[in-house]
Amino acid sequence: MTTKKKRTPNTERSGWVVIAPDSVTDKNKHGSDPVFLRLRNPSTDGASLYLLGSGDEWLYEVKAFEEEFHSWFVGEAVQRDGRLVFVTPMDPLFLILPYLMKSGREGKFQPVDQVVKDEDFPACSRLLSCSCSFLHIAEEKEVGGLKFHRYSQERTMNWLKKKVERTAAALKTKNVSVGEGVKSTTYIRIKSESEGREEDYLRYAHGLISEYISEALSKALLKHLGLPELTSPKEAEPPAKKRKLSDKPVEAGEDYTKFNSADFARKPPKKMTAAQKTLAKVDKSGMKSMSSFFSPKSK
Amino acid sequence: MSCHSSVTHLHVSPVGQAERVPVHLLPCEIEHNGPAQVSQYFTATMKDHKGVKAVSFRGRGLKGQEICCPAGYTGLVLKDTNKPGSDQEDRIVRVSSVFDKLTYWNLDNPPTSDDTVVMAMDWPELAEAIHEPIDE
Repeated sequence: MTTKKKRTPNTERSGWVVIAPDSVTDKNKHGSDPVFLRLRNPSTDGASLYLLGSGDEWLYEVKAFEEEFHSWFVGEAVQRDGRLVFVTPMDPLFLILPYLMKSGREGKFQPVDQVVKDEDFPACSRLLSCSCSFLHIAEEKEVGGLKFHRYSQERTMNWLKKKVERTAAALKTKNVSVGEGVKSTTYIRIKSESEGREEDYLRYAHGLISEYISEALSKALLKHLGLPELTSPKEAEPPAKKRKLSDKPVEAGEDYTKFNSADFARKPPKKMTAAQKTLAKVDKSGMKSMSSFFSPKSK
Repeated sequence: MSCHSSVTHLHVSPVGQAERVPVHLLPCEIEHNGPAQVSQYFTATMKDHKGVKAVSFRGRGLKGQEICCPAGYTGLVLKDTNKPGSDQEDRIVRVSSVFDKLTYWNLDNPPTSDDTVVMAMDWPELAEAIHEPIDE
């Protein structure tokens, strides 16, 4: 047995190495500084870190790329925390959608500022300053110059479908490996090879979009895309357990240095039965998320 | 009572004046935060052969390569400006330095496009495909 050298916990506040779009630091148009803030994650329902910039007009997602045992040299200094933080533009509708869906159960048209409210996340009302169109996810009624909205499942599905298709196209252009190593002797493809590839890209894209919507919506979207649901060890897992695992880094504490690293972290391998292993081989393509995107490609 | 009301302000005004610095991602954890003579003892021994860099660090040979930030993106090093232990609810971070390329180092393997950090650089483009508003 090898003995592992004990490491002192990294309790000091060091810096953060961040990659951010130029629009974040471009301050000429607006006088105000961007802010990091916690909002309700639409997929996990827990807290995640986001950034609002340009006077709350643009929303950004904050994700940490993290590998064990890494540190930085920054100029003439050492920075122990080896994470690389990505700040990327985010569609605010993903964060607004759960609030509209919730109020939509009443079936009434309501003003959005009365709907997008959250005791745990009071800052969520700032999302309404972002530039986005509610018409993608809701029906609109105008009465006396005031606008009222009601959640529309049909519009939402069409909006999400467009997103999946655009993401699939981007994956194709980037030539991201989505289907290799997925074939198994127990899985017979009836479709031609090219059709199979198309489906792989769509499933992978659906997996990426599912990181921003609830599990129920993700299932409905799969149906809307005409893709059959596949059962897998991952899906068979109780949702509560899955969620606990995925949002652990953000719920761990109030320290905002705990970035949303769940999607970058490699999940610990689970013990699988032979049958589960076979299943895993078959349907990997549909289940791929960011974590597998950043894992080494299968050779 | 709300538990998520505090925010962190990002002071971007000094970005223009922020120092451009060389940035290295090392394949080991260094239990230290603070000054180090990087250019004297690390950068000075770096060798470059057809785009693959080699350096010796604490007796271990590292192989690395330089990668650029994605187009339209800038690397920022953020630092906390609040004093440790201060009770202030909102925090402020400032941009202490900037970079547009970084060098990452592998312990044993020569750098390839399959290295996870290289693939991570694809994330912004993919994120834009996911998040760019859909036309009406």
